[in-house]
Amino acid sequence: MSLLLDVQDLTVRFALPRAGLFAPRHYLEAVRQVSFQLEAGKALGIVGESGSGKTTTAMAAIRLTESSSGKVLFEGQDLLTLTDEQMRQRRRDVQLIFQDPYSSLNPRARVADIVREPMDLMDIGTMAERQARVVELFKLVGLRPDQLNLFPHQFSGGQRQRISIARALTTNPRLLVCDEPVSALDVAIQAQILNLLARLKSELGLSYLFISHDLGVVRHVCDDVAVMYLGKIVEKAPKKALFDAPQHPYTQALLSAAPSLARRKSRGYVRPLKISGDPPSPINPPKGCAFADRCPKAQEVCRLTQPALQAVGDTDVACHFPG
Amino acid sequence: MSALLQINDLRVTFRTRYGEVTALDSVSLHVNAGETLGVVGESGCGKSITALSVMGLIPQPPGKIAGGEILLNGEDLTKVSEARMRGLRGSEVAMIFQEPMTSLNPVFTVGDQIAEAIMLHQKVSADQAMKDAIALLDRVGIPSPDRRARDFPHQLSGGMRQRVMIAMAVSCRPKVLIADEPTTALDVTVQAQIFDLLNEIQRDFGAAIVLITHDMGAISEMADRVAVMYAGRVIEDASADDVLDMPLHPYARGLINCIPNLGRDDDSLAEIPGVVPPLHLLGAGCAFADRCAHKAPRCAVEKPLLINHGHHPAACHAVEEGRL
Repeated sequence: MSLLLDVQDLTVRFALPRAGLFAPRHYLEAVRQVSFQLEAGKALGIVGESGSGKTTTAMAAIRLTESSSGKVLFEGQDLLTLTDEQMRQRRRDVQLIFQDPYSSLNPRARVADIVREPMDLMDIGTMAERQARVVELFKLVGLRPDQLNLFPHQFSGGQRQRISIARALTTNPRLLVCDEPVSALDVAIQAQILNLLARLKSELGLSYLFISHDLGVVRHVCDDVAVMYLGKIVEKAPKKALFDAPQHPYTQALLSAAPSLARRKSRGYVRPLKISGDPPSPINPPKGCAFADRCPKAQEVCRLTQPALQAVGDTDVACHFPG
Repeated sequence: MSALLQINDLRVTFRTRYGEVTALDSVSLHVNAGETLGVVGESGCGKSITALSVMGLIPQPPGKIAGGEILLNGEDLTKVSEARMRGLRGSEVAMIFQEPMTSLNPVFTVGDQIAEAIMLHQKVSADQAMKDAIALLDRVGIPSPDRRARDFPHQLSGGMRQRVMIAMAVSCRPKVLIADEPTTALDVTVQAQIFDLLNEIQRDFGAAIVLITHDMGAISEMADRVAVMYAGRVIEDASADDVLDMPLHPYARGLINCIPNLGRDDDSLAEIPGVVPPLHLLGAGCAFADRCAHKAPRCAVEKPLLINHGHHPAACHAVEEGRL
């Protein structure tokens, strides 16, 4: 298998406003030394709660957010060192689907124009070829050709997400970054979009960087999963290992918190693993493990030293007491 | 035993630019004391309108309660005066809304807001009300409650704000607590905390809970009984186990099968094609017919009624005819 994306020690810092004119500048590290690999044709899920840095990681990896250090090797080429024009050309290989299909489509443009626009910008083909491609993409994502000239508001949420997907596929990308692509949709519609994404992955050989807070969705779409907490990857594993034998207490807590049909009130279900509180502030992260304050297993060492990612079987886990 | 809250044949209509549309059509539900009823369905199915009807919060006009009754301890809430409803709201029935940020007042401290609710319904001094408010904040698991009571909503995290909403809702020990998608704006670990809290509150106060959600997983963990709604009607109504283990209505089956489940690796999810039809386009037949794999000619012309055809009540011709 060939490596498509190799992210090494990616760090993203945001400058905070100064307290006063001469006050020292403070920084917020939204992503802290994140590394992961994505093979061609595979899907990597990045899971975490709001504020964990999952979206910032993905945006930095495709250079939509400025990163402060690290490398992003896309087919061996470091995207972070490209000139703007080189990066613009590269963008045809890397496309994006956003969370909210209501705000990510121009309300004043006809959907055929929306889907065609990436080809216009990249100067691909003749006008007739572009239009033929739009029709082909419409069919591919399950829309009808007679809907080509409608406006986004004439579509339902699920259909709009299909339009977003068609637009993302226009330039024949290698990598599709999906940022919570179904969390704004009703459950019944979620299934339609997830099945579509799974079909496109196998038919077109696409790779996904799939961001979600929903472990069930990630399990359905992804081959590998990385769990993030406060800007760091705390566990990274093939899907099966992660769901069958989660190593990090935070992963275990996420799995125990996600509602499941297997847990019945009538059978006296009581959540075995309860974690309290909220994640700490990224402005002043704790010295030791960021999860220590909420962790049932935390000991003195957890509050003092940050655990590094270490291999346990197929899993990489950043915890002093994994398992 | 008569139920604590009993809704019979409730019909709610709204005046819109498409003419009068029926948002709720002969909805019947009941909740017993100490029980959790899950109301489940996609957006636009009438779940929230049902809740707002019970709270007497349907904007009239354009809305209108066109028929039926809502009996709370035998008293019909559709007939009581606005003054009486104001007395019941908060003290007998209380509601937790979806978005805690927009349902709290940003310019008052959370302690003041809870104390206000207490003073509206109980004859206590302001000092006592504030003490009660702090005790409630402690009860819902907010750390250092006496300090937090002086915080404004924007100083709290989403989970804490929802805890404040719960504290306010249970401040007068309501008999019925309606939770309208109380965790959609929250992260999963916080959602789990809120669900656990609601269960504790129910044990302590013995309140009946109506949990409105679109998540069958939440239903499984929280509910004793389930009403599945579609396009303004209840289409299946039974114990949580019956609905989850043996869903009858094709829509209920679809809702359960379309969830990406943590417990299994499935290659393809069951889909429900299409979307909920707009209410002004509902015809004479079953509202689900266009999305249904078991559609028959009869489904297009005759609305199925919620009747027990054997196992438990479901509104479906295919179930009635044994075609499923």
